[in-house]
Amino acid sequence: MSMTYQEFPGVEWIEGAGDFITVDEKLCDGCGNCIRVCLAKCYKMTGKKAHVDNLERCMECGACWYSCPPDAIQFSWPPGGTGFRTLWG
Amino acid sequence: MSMNEDYDVIVVGAGFGGPVAAHKCASAGLRTLMLERSVTPGDKVVSGLAIPFYAFLYAPEFIRDGNPPLERPIRQVVNNFIRDGEIYAKDTSLWIPPPLVLTYTAYCVPLCVWLADRAVEAGTELRTRTTAVDLVMEDGKVAGVVTDKGDTIRAKVVIDAAGTQDGLALKAGLRKKLPTDTLELYMLWDYEMAREDVEREFGNKVEFFCAMPDERIVAPLGFGSTFYIFVYRDSIHPGLGQFIVTEDKVENVARHLEDYFERFTTTVSRWRDDIAPKVTLRAKMFDVCPIYAGLDRNVREMPIHGDGMMIIGDAAAMESAAFGDGVPNAWFSAAIAGDVAVEAVKAGDTSAGFLQRYDERVKAHNLIGASLSDTRRYDMRWALPGNDEREMRRRAHELFGRGVWRWRHITGQVVREAMQAMSRDPGGALKWLKMFNRFNRNCETGFSDTLSKYE
Repeated sequence: MSMTYQEFPGVEWIEGAGDFITVDEKLCDGCGNCIRVCLAKCYKMTGKKAHVDNLERCMECGACWYSCPPDAIQFSWPPGGTGFRTLWG
Repeated sequence: MSMNEDYDVIVVGAGFGGPVAAHKCASAGLRTLMLERSVTPGDKVVSGLAIPFYAFLYAPEFIRDGNPPLERPIRQVVNNFIRDGEIYAKDTSLWIPPPLVLTYTAYCVPLCVWLADRAVEAGTELRTRTTAVDLVMEDGKVAGVVTDKGDTIRAKVVIDAAGTQDGLALKAGLRKKLPTDTLELYMLWDYEMAREDVEREFGNKVEFFCAMPDERIVAPLGFGSTFYIFVYRDSIHPGLGQFIVTEDKVENVARHLEDYFERFTTTVSRWRDDIAPKVTLRAKMFDVCPIYAGLDRNVREMPIHGDGMMIIGDAAAMESAAFGDGVPNAWFSAAIAGDVAVEAVKAGDTSAGFLQRYDERVKAHNLIGASLSDTRRYDMRWALPGNDEREMRRRAHELFGRGVWRWRHITGQVVREAMQAMSRDPGGALKWLKMFNRFNRNCETGFSDTLSKYE
């Protein structure tokens, strides 16, 4: 099974990727960098803590992970054969 | 060395570098396994892919002698300068006569499949849909990898070709997360365009668009790519990037990129009137690129090898600081790592001490060194104080104009090396010309070697 979204034509997401990006709320200082750099709108802020709202359009770029000053974001590759793919990169 | 090791070498990643390293190892008779997390090699690679000619001059022989799937030979760069939403000047001074080529554009999937196919032909075992999630460590030495399927696969050497966001080298304690001010977030679009329209509007040229920040068309100069349009056989591939950090603050990059593109496509008549009516959007993608990693001293000092492990290409942050090319350095470093792996396995010594020669050869490689330390794109920012348009045009001329041929820039180094190579072996130049002629003809007809299906 795979999903497509009209915001990103030409890209599909194969199911089974799971929670390959997570936020440790204890470490999050609420700076909002993850929201400012994520082109897939994966993050939401609740109170003063960021959390992953969904990874549906994530292209595994790692921008959130790189730009998190307290290192609250864990980023790992999704399992083999899952997650985004495109023929047009 | 114990006898129960599964492989001599595991290569993690079948992008551009991985297959080159695997090809070397397998050709020398080493038991070589290559792991790739995607379904098809290349289908997680997002790039405006243009591979400069010098990558091919010094590529491994199987690339020079083969028929890789390439899209279009590019022989001229058009720099467009924008003021008040319109082009007011152009710099077209960078060009090269046929059959020579500045750069070949290509799609990542077919090219990565072609490279992986060559590695498999040479004897590499390839497992797709397999993520390497961890390393097997024994007495502080890398001794294999653990996959997402829970398999433990042992090897004498692991070659890490896992790309920019690689986590394995971090797990090995060799590298750290790249600093944000070295990283560009970029968006890419792929548009179908009839071939005759591509010929009429672009021919064998790529276009760049430069502007001062108040135009809000591109990222502030030196803090990202200019807006560019790469040109393929019957499609075009615009791209636009901005650094995650500009002048010490994390920008709302996501919003900027959308805004820049919206403004570019609705105000600049070159796009709105000439191009937009002739194209159909096919894909929209984004990724992060460590374009200034080579300019960062701390990153340069991070190890690229350890006990039982070598790190190549983007995983070792070997991206050209001026052009953002990752492929030339991925090929060069992969070939060195492959040679060193063969020497190490034959010598029965894969310790960090032996693999040190990988590090030494990479550091001694003039073209890798010159491309990592190239400050021309970074230097675009010196046009920002005072909104100096003349300075912007002068800097662009250095970066993508005739200035590229200066001795002190990477291209000058390439010319110098090529002249030395030709004086040693005049027949070599003929081989290069034949290669360009064959590649150019293949681009014309759309021919390449047959590609495997990976569904």
